[in-house]
Amino acid sequence: MPQESLIPKLPTLEYPPLGKPGDEVHGVDGSVKPHWQYVMDSFSALPLNALQERQNKASRLLRDDGASYNVYSDEQSSSRHWGLDLVPNIISSENWGDIEAALLERSELFNMLLRDIYGPRQLIRTGVIPPEAIYAHRGFLRACQGIKLPGDHELITHAVDMIRGADGRMIVLADRTQSPSGTGYALENRTVMSRVLPSMFRDSHVHRLAGYFQQLRTKLLSLCPHRANPRVAVLTPGPRNETYFEHAYLANYLGFYLVQSDDLVVRGGFLWMKSLDGLNRVDVVLRRVDDSYCDPVELRSDSRLGVPGMLDVVRAGNVVVANSLGSGILENPVLLKYLPDISRALLGRELRMDSVTTYWCGDEADLSYVLAHLDRLVVKSTYRKPGQFSTNGTLASAAELEKLRAAILANPMNYVAQPILSSNFLPTFDNEALSPRPAILRSFTVAGAGSYSVMPGGLTRVGNEDGSFIISSQVGASSKDTWVVASEPQREMEKPPEDTLAARDSEIINLPSRVLENLFWMGRYAERAEACLRILRTTYRQLNGEDPLSSDMRVHLLDAVSKLASVTVTEVPESDRSMISLLREGTVPAAIAGVLNSMLFCAEEAKELLSSDTYRVINDIRDSIPLLDTELGDHFQTPDEVLDPLVTALMALAGLNHESMTRGYGWRFMDLGRRLERAVQTANLTECLLVPELPEPDQSRIAEAMLIAQEGLISYRRRYGARPDVTIGLNLVLLDPDSPRSVMYQLTRMVMHLRKLPKGSSPLHEMTPIDKALLECTTQLRLASLTELAHPSESQRQNLSKHMQSMSESLMSISEMISDRYFDHREASQQLVSVKWEGL
Amino acid sequence: MKYRISHITAYKYASRVSHCYNLAQMMPRTTLRQTCFNSKVEVSPKVSRESRREDFFGNNVFQFEIQNPHRELVITATSQVETRPQIVDTNLDLGSTCAEALLKMRQSKSEDVLLAREFQLDSAMIASSNELRDFAQDLFTPDRSLLSAVSALTERIFTDFTYSPLSTTIATPIADVMKNRKGVCQDFAHLQIGCLRAMGYAAKYVSGYLETLPPPGEEKMVGVDATHAWLSVFSPGEGWVEFDPTNNCLAGEQHIITSWGRDFNDVTPLKGVIFGGGRNPGMTVSVDVSRV
Repeated sequence: MPQESLIPKLPTLEYPPLGKPGDEVHGVDGSVKPHWQYVMDSFSALPLNALQERQNKASRLLRDDGASYNVYSDEQSSSRHWGLDLVPNIISSENWGDIEAALLERSELFNMLLRDIYGPRQLIRTGVIPPEAIYAHRGFLRACQGIKLPGDHELITHAVDMIRGADGRMIVLADRTQSPSGTGYALENRTVMSRVLPSMFRDSHVHRLAGYFQQLRTKLLSLCPHRANPRVAVLTPGPRNETYFEHAYLANYLGFYLVQSDDLVVRGGFLWMKSLDGLNRVDVVLRRVDDSYCDPVELRSDSRLGVPGMLDVVRAGNVVVANSLGSGILENPVLLKYLPDISRALLGRELRMDSVTTYWCGDEADLSYVLAHLDRLVVKSTYRKPGQFSTNGTLASAAELEKLRAAILANPMNYVAQPILSSNFLPTFDNEALSPRPAILRSFTVAGAGSYSVMPGGLTRVGNEDGSFIISSQVGASSKDTWVVASEPQREMEKPPEDTLAARDSEIINLPSRVLENLFWMGRYAERAEACLRILRTTYRQLNGEDPLSSDMRVHLLDAVSKLASVTVTEVPESDRSMISLLREGTVPAAIAGVLNSMLFCAEEAKELLSSDTYRVINDIRDSIPLLDTELGDHFQTPDEVLDPLVTALMALAGLNHESMTRGYGWRFMDLGRRLERAVQTANLTECLLVPELPEPDQSRIAEAMLIAQEGLISYRRRYGARPDVTIGLNLVLLDPDSPRSVMYQLTRMVMHLRKLPKGSSPLHEMTPIDKALLECTTQLRLASLTELAHPSESQRQNLSKHMQSMSESLMSISEMISDRYFDHREASQQLVSVKWEGL
Repeated sequence: MKYRISHITAYKYASRVSHCYNLAQMMPRTTLRQTCFNSKVEVSPKVSRESRREDFFGNNVFQFEIQNPHRELVITATSQVETRPQIVDTNLDLGSTCAEALLKMRQSKSEDVLLAREFQLDSAMIASSNELRDFAQDLFTPDRSLLSAVSALTERIFTDFTYSPLSTTIATPIADVMKNRKGVCQDFAHLQIGCLRAMGYAAKYVSGYLETLPPPGEEKMVGVDATHAWLSVFSPGEGWVEFDPTNNCLAGEQHIITSWGRDFNDVTPLKGVIFGGGRNPGMTVSVDVSRV
């Protein structure tokens, strides 16, 4: 009996020869090229669903690491997840040798070119390049004339975008010299690949990436030769930047600070980072802010991303900024036209790798060629702006071409044109099959002691469609890991140089004060959200209980919910049903979503301190926020289904913060924020629920609600019996030193944290104002009499009301004092003279 | 001619400035036709750091940082300069013709022409336009000498435009000046530079001082002089020649150069970033140019 026919055959993945030029995998005879053999065999042995599972796992891992690429045009959800295709781009070792040599040569040439442009400008004086190629370009920053970095290189990192044509040769499309992005994504891709396809990765003998990053770290440290343990900061524009993930990721990986504009200040000719213990000198800045934005005094005056006065500190040699300020000029595509001449002039030879043929409309002959062949060329602006793409003449309508022609004629120097090149195709998994996709490879070089080093591999991006014209992360293209496969197994990396463990320990403590402030507020918002969710959930449970609520109870519970969520509810619910719809459809869910979003914002600002476990929980919270709006309004759903997972996620976050954060200042400030907020919210809740005196059984029911919201009902019952009593309830939520939810417990923790914070250098033994205020709070609570607090007069517990109000006010003022004392409050800056900047 | 120049700039802020980073261009440069013997800048309140350097265009730049809170900032620049007349043939009809000049600007590989081409391009405050070209074009006939055509353009601006100190600010676009036919020296310089660039010539913005003489028989008052601006045009063969459209003349010994650049933006006498300070600071400038 033919057994085989009984087993359903699982679909597997085939990738047949393309049968046209541009097949990267197969040779002309249709056989798989040797360096692709192993990987293609492995993929074709994988059932489709197995690959789908792994692709999903990869997406999950990327998401847990917070890997995202923020897309400019996408206002709604600015964070888009990074896409990784599991089929690597494979390059043989021999072929890579040629590419590597060409890239080294190119970086050396660009470095020499940069030095000439901001130095003697011999290339202009001797007519090698027309003056306008430099002088008419906005990337040429005259203020940067003469800046010189220690060592032989001004261009520290360089990225080159290449495609492989049907003839097998690599050709350069563009250079990135401003602050090249992509290395962090390449590293992240590699990390995920090695986890998702471990055996394929292991057996392929892929060249490692770590050497590149070691070289980068060593080079940056060497830029400050005169100080031991120089302090290096990665300057990011902030979480809204499209590659913020990478900034945080690299800072973490390299062990450098991640700073934003406001974390830095110029004082007395040096650059400093503001941190808890004052100003710390910064020696080297790896900038991810474009050079023209780095200093509003001398460069773009409208920039909020730079540091006023920084350029003059750079000039004095008191800080080193990499890449050198002004390096953006090298991205001018006009230079590609003259590159062969420049190479002959500076290197004395032809370049090993060609660049795409480039016509510059500032050149008369080129201009007439371009105008005559507009429908066959790609036209690009010479100055790159986010969201601005080239025009493909073959796809443009007659009207569009006419418009383009007019634009070129109005400013010919601002345009270049290039022929349309087709790249070879790489197999790419589109969830169904392996399909051929065009690809661009971005490779990275970094300056070393003598020459440059090239990252073996790089970042491959593939087009969305078979023939997609624009391949850019800004339009959401997918990426691939790039494997340079060795015929021999890779040698183990040599040990990283001993770089002073002590210095890195202190770095963990010395965070920019902005990060501490965000952690403090992350703690506060997390607690606030949790308190709101708890009381909301408790209220729903009471509403869904066996007995309908009295109108008093409705009023007080609604009062508690609205007070904690800081919303005003003026309606008085006539029935339980109207109360439910008020809570579902009113402003309460929106207010809670607002608090959660604020917390996520703070988390983003302190991203580099959060583990991927933490990030997973944060993702869960982010995913649940829209449910507050949609699901909570759905009358067929019980609110618990929405609220429970959120409360659980917030608890998980608290647990992770508690269990996995180093006990540095970061953790202290977050916990300080949590304790303070929890004490405030408990005081507020107590005021709303326990101040009014109610007849039984309402009094017990509301006390019970209070205990449920405070997670105290179980321990109450165990200790005191069944029926909740106000006095004993107050004991539990206010005074009990062993209950992690009592106000006293919060105050005790706050005192403990504050004791560990730096106090300044005063020799006096006087208490700080914060300590005094906190001592006052604690003492008042300690001296309070529960009988007096619980004693009602005219149906109100007046003493309790007063005490809770004063408690909450004191805590608010303590929060302000903490903020004044420890966080940075920068005044608004302005230009002394406002002259418009057009950057010409 | 030898001069002593004092240039005092005072800012009064509406509220406290906690710190500031500034850049001053108030120290005359040494050029072919003038020598600056010494110059110094004093700042009140006390600076926490200062540095002096030459910028991209070779101008003297004084950069400083103040970290003491203040409500008033006073910058006093004093310098001693000896000026000489421009070396230019008094007969402006000689020299390169307009046609020759344009051809050389395009084709010459000589270093001075290549470097001058920077000043033929648009800059932050001057964008060439057909309107600007049309305003001047009829004077620049191919066979006329470039310098005599520029001189005629200087006269046209002097005649057609009214000098009116309150009509413009430092940021008034050239198009508005063209429309209203009013302005100050900065506007006229920008305008003439714009016309020249629109036709393909190189021209740069010159900032400095002009010695003013009291009416006959009267004593000169201190502080009545002002900062001034004019332009310099490049004629291949003759080099850079300065014209003053505000006074319809070639720049002479009474024109003392501080700095030059593509436009005002490159030579702003004082700029920077201040922290605090409130709105609308009061600013007064007093310049005194006296012969020594």
